[in-house]
Amino acid sequence: MTLAFIPTFAQKTTYDKVEVQVDGLGCPFCAYGLEKKFKELKGIKKVRIDMETGLMKFNYPSDKMIDIETVENQVDKAGYTPVTTTITRINGEVVASVNEEEMIEKEVLKNVDKTSFAVRGNCSMCKARIEKAATSLAGVGVATWEAETQLIQLEYDPEIIDIKEIHKAIAKVGHDTKKAKANDEIYDNLPPCCLYKRN
Amino acid sequence: MKIKILIELIFSVIVFTLLSACSNTPQWKYERTIQFEDITPLGIAKKGNFLWISDSDNNKVLKTDLDGKIIETYENFDRPMHIDMDGDNIFIPEYGADTITIINANKRTYLPIQNELDAPAGIDVNGQDYAIADFYNHRIVYHTNGEDLTFGKKGKVNGEFHYPTDIQFANNLIYVADAYNNRVQVFDKKGIFKQSIGEEDGMNAATGIYVTDKEIAVTDFENNRILIYDLNGKLLQILDENFDKPTDIIINNNKFYVINYKGRSIAVFTIE
Repeated sequence: MTLAFIPTFAQKTTYDKVEVQVDGLGCPFCAYGLEKKFKELKGIKKVRIDMETGLMKFNYPSDKMIDIETVENQVDKAGYTPVTTTITRINGEVVASVNEEEMIEKEVLKNVDKTSFAVRGNCSMCKARIEKAATSLAGVGVATWEAETQLIQLEYDPEIIDIKEIHKAIAKVGHDTKKAKANDEIYDNLPPCCLYKRN
Repeated sequence: MKIKILIELIFSVIVFTLLSACSNTPQWKYERTIQFEDITPLGIAKKGNFLWISDSDNNKVLKTDLDGKIIETYENFDRPMHIDMDGDNIFIPEYGADTITIINANKRTYLPIQNELDAPAGIDVNGQDYAIADFYNHRIVYHTNGEDLTFGKKGKVNGEFHYPTDIQFANNLIYVADAYNNRVQVFDKKGIFKQSIGEEDGMNAATGIYVTDKEIAVTDFENNRILIYDLNGKLLQILDENFDKPTDIIINNNKFYVINYKGRSIAVFTIE
């Protein structure tokens, strides 16, 4: 009987700490906007982006056991380009991603071809997204895109990958090339500073 | 006969000189750079011999002297953007909190807003009237006679916005930095579109604006330029040195202060 009078306390929510290194932050209006939109997602607390280091930090309820893939998908969806992600669980366990470029078992490029083609974009966030889309593909070595020239310079192995696939991969993240056009919905969801003028 | 020719010649010279003087637009000339170390400025306001600067990366607002020496620091904002001064009040749009905070001495209050904002990026205040660039709602909130007038929606045609970042009402008109449409749009005080400025000038993110009774100055963020127009939209001058991702601008007492967001500095110009 007495037990019925023992007060029960609501269990305090604990949080895992998530850190994502993002690439290409340059425009404060977009970066803060994405921070704001990220903050509105269910469960996410205390989002902060350090513009200087590109480090994005937030807390997430421990009982949800958020994983790296979910975090990176969400970061991607918000318009950032994630490079590495670390989750520190409430028990001290640390889960870390491997740099995506390193994750791909890159074959040694035996027949290296150099090429360049036009890719539409505007800013440093575009640069990070375009270069990652290219270098994430097996058979692509170096990829460098410049806003001034609107050109991507590539080293790739034509025996491993067809150049059309590189065009498609870049268009898939929202950037038009001569041979592949980005889906309108993906283009519309790019951060404001990345919305290049379309032909 | 010789005297007549001489008089005509003198008259022509006087007329030519007068016409030349009239068409000579004042040109802005670089004076100096005020460099900061620990702050990343984004917005600027000025009163008397003091500058007010929003440090959005560090969520602070600072009062400095005209050499950038910090006099007072106010903390705990949520991404303060293009600030404005009216009387002794500093109006601070908090992009992350959807509020306009007012600082008067050490007292903080909030501007009561009838319409819900989504990332206010800029404000201009004149007495009881104010105008806000409502970034994610792609619209302007203009408050006058105790009522809110809202206008604009997401789009590219005249009267529509693609992320407005800064605003000013002057010369009985409302001027908007329509950032990612890369232009300035001008409206009357009923929100009726009047003019688009700068669409042909290759801007890449028109992030900040300042309007006087003679000129319109715009920061061209990605191209590191300042474009100066007359009130009819005629391009008068392009400044393209001493900038590093400019976000805001103010003209006062024949000085021209440009915030360099990435450069962490203020570039000061003067009339040549």
